[in-house]
Amino acid sequence: MGITFIDFPWAIALILLPLTGGLSCFLWPSVSKILGLVTVIGVMLSATGLGWLVIDKGVYHYLVGGWGAPLGIELYVDGLSLLMLMVTALVALGVSIYSIHYFELSYQRRFWPLWLFLLTALNALFLSADIFNLYVTLELMGLAAVALATLTGSHDAFTAAMRYLLATLLGSLAFLFGVVLLYHSFGSLDIAVLSERFESNITAWAAFGLISAGLVLKTALFPMHFWLPPAHANAPAPVSAVLSALVVKASFYILLRLWLEIFSQLDTDVDILFGFLGSIAIIWGSLQALRQTRIKLLVAYSTVAQVGYLFLAFPLAEKVGVTAWSAAVYLILSHALAKSAMFLAAGNLLRFGGHDRIADLDRVAQRLPITVAAFALAGVSIMGLPPSGGFISKWLLLQSALVQSQWGLVGVMLIGGVLAAAYIFKVLGRAFTQAPLPHEPGVVPATMEWAALLLAGGAILLGFFASEILAIIEIGSPFGAGEVKL
Amino acid sequence: MEALALLQDVFDILLGFGLLWLAWLALFSLDLFRSIVSFISFGLLMAIIWVRLDAPDVALAEAAIGAGLTGALFLAAFAKLQPASVNGKGSSINPQKQSSRKQLLRWLPALIMLWIASGLTIAILALPPHATGLTSEVTSNLTASGVSNPVTAVLLNFRGYDTLLEIVVLLLALLAVWSIGSSVPSIESEPGPVLDTLSRLLVPILIMVSAYLLWVGAHAPGGAFQAGAVLGAAGVLLVLSGWKLYPGLEGFPLRLVLTAGSITFVVIAILTMLVSGTFMQFPPAQASILILILEMVATLSIGVTLAALFIGSPPTDIKKL
Repeated sequence: MGITFIDFPWAIALILLPLTGGLSCFLWPSVSKILGLVTVIGVMLSATGLGWLVIDKGVYHYLVGGWGAPLGIELYVDGLSLLMLMVTALVALGVSIYSIHYFELSYQRRFWPLWLFLLTALNALFLSADIFNLYVTLELMGLAAVALATLTGSHDAFTAAMRYLLATLLGSLAFLFGVVLLYHSFGSLDIAVLSERFESNITAWAAFGLISAGLVLKTALFPMHFWLPPAHANAPAPVSAVLSALVVKASFYILLRLWLEIFSQLDTDVDILFGFLGSIAIIWGSLQALRQTRIKLLVAYSTVAQVGYLFLAFPLAEKVGVTAWSAAVYLILSHALAKSAMFLAAGNLLRFGGHDRIADLDRVAQRLPITVAAFALAGVSIMGLPPSGGFISKWLLLQSALVQSQWGLVGVMLIGGVLAAAYIFKVLGRAFTQAPLPHEPGVVPATMEWAALLLAGGAILLGFFASEILAIIEIGSPFGAGEVKL
Repeated sequence: MEALALLQDVFDILLGFGLLWLAWLALFSLDLFRSIVSFISFGLLMAIIWVRLDAPDVALAEAAIGAGLTGALFLAAFAKLQPASVNGKGSSINPQKQSSRKQLLRWLPALIMLWIASGLTIAILALPPHATGLTSEVTSNLTASGVSNPVTAVLLNFRGYDTLLEIVVLLLALLAVWSIGSSVPSIESEPGPVLDTLSRLLVPILIMVSAYLLWVGAHAPGGAFQAGAVLGAAGVLLVLSGWKLYPGLEGFPLRLVLTAGSITFVVIAILTMLVSGTFMQFPPAQASILILILEMVATLSIGVTLAALFIGSPPTDIKKL
């Protein structure tokens, strides 16, 4: 055949591997653990292979079925999608290692097919260059995510998942409506073709409104975050990790992509609205996190706040485009690693104590040092302290705001940082003390502790490779021309 | 001729208002059962409207899935809701006792929705009346697609990758229901003589219709989803008349049938990649037979998945896991 390493269709492998893995896990549930692990390792290798290819040769195009746009579907990988795929693979690996010992046997068999289909959806979403195909991946992702969120089987989880289902379906439908309007007006579903044909008219505005509203609902920007805290807090720990780290980012990725490629041609002030809502999300989410008495809810509200930071990039990008967008992407990456680590660590604490009440943590720092270290390292990134990925992203955001004298946003970011420190130390402070009522500790397998530490370490490591990662973001210049200055 | 055109206009206006009326009944009926029946009628009327809009493919899908199977799923869910709603009746809030603030909270979203709806109406009225879309591209590539029905060509060839993911979405829906459904016991009842005779008559006919829709899809409206929906309806009828899957088939064989559509898609996708070098690129000479195989297996999987969705709870084999 003559297929060399570099020519291997890594992008296709990223879709077919988890898809086949999910089907196999459903067919042979008794070996689902092994099948799942092998699949996730394969996905990691494929993402690496694709990364090699894109860094070496630049932007990657693939015509599915050989038809090409506008008739067929195209896959497209630039620096932005590559980083999303790589962080997805990394989080998937950590979460999968964690899940081997997390779930009981009966839940293993339900978890793996759903989780691998979710991974399929995420990979397909980040690879797609076609807005209808994006809708299909959104549906796949939403259904898998909701099903996974019910896996604790508790009454609260069902109620939260039902709300999540309705929110995510409403978001998908709004998105689909927008897709229909765009297709009818401009005769294509391909993002690149649409970007050429797009012009400002009433239909384009309606499509913009519908698509943005749908995606903002799915990304849980304040005040559309109502579904997120209960759904993320009541899901099993590995599921919460994936929902907060990846699923929320996926809809933000689509919004970012369409905003940059298509809707930037509209003359709008929506960026200011996004900045405003993002600011409220940071303050409100952080304050709510601070008020919580349970770790998982605290971490879930922290996600609401961190999503707010992502939307600050919209008003800031007006003048310093590339820096602000790069900051947002950096935040996606570091938050994905840090937040998944944090949820996994919270899962360990829950398993250890049988509860996740912050006040009743019983000397966990001595008894689960690796887990507490993971939580602390992830916390460093969430707070935005150096050296961490969170520091780089927030530094870039702060710098963009300072350059433009956007003092309001500077203030919000500083307050957000202080509040984040407060809610993280609220947990860490209790980790060293003895609880008033000591209890019998549960056993936490070593793999579960190390998986959390692996991801947290990744979030810290991101702080050391800023120039390399910013260079990857620039492949295919998704944010237009310009220099990123550190 | 003019009289005929006028008659058609009157018919269309009646259809339009009928649709709105049924939508109103489905949404605001106090009786849940009446809501469901209105919803099913809404689906049927919608199907007629699709025919009037020259979209017979959509009409078939709407009638089979929108009205038929979704309606059946609603009725199944309604049947399972019964005991709970009888207990909960006493605690239901009297709408008249709601405070004025709550009333305001009810109207605020309504006003916002009204505002959005009027905006969308303006946007839709501003659409060009005839959008060509990709019709010319589809027509010019139709010969290479292996089928002569443009809808099937788009679904199975030009955008076959979407369809692959959509079949997985359907499977995922079943997995989602199964992952929560184990707590709900299935309803056991003896079929009456009418149902019993009817299902004996109808099931073979439905299977024939399904096969016809599948075959005709290559050059006329029809195809795997519609055929699968009809097959699913046959399955629902069988389940209602007390038929049960042979216990030995509830495990791996059932799961294999459910996944067969997705598996065949993946296998053919990989084979095409090995032969032509591109993922899901069907060689024009073999495209026809490949699409037929895909549709046949997909029909079976879709039909069984839809019937399994109607039953709701996972088979005992899965429950034990």
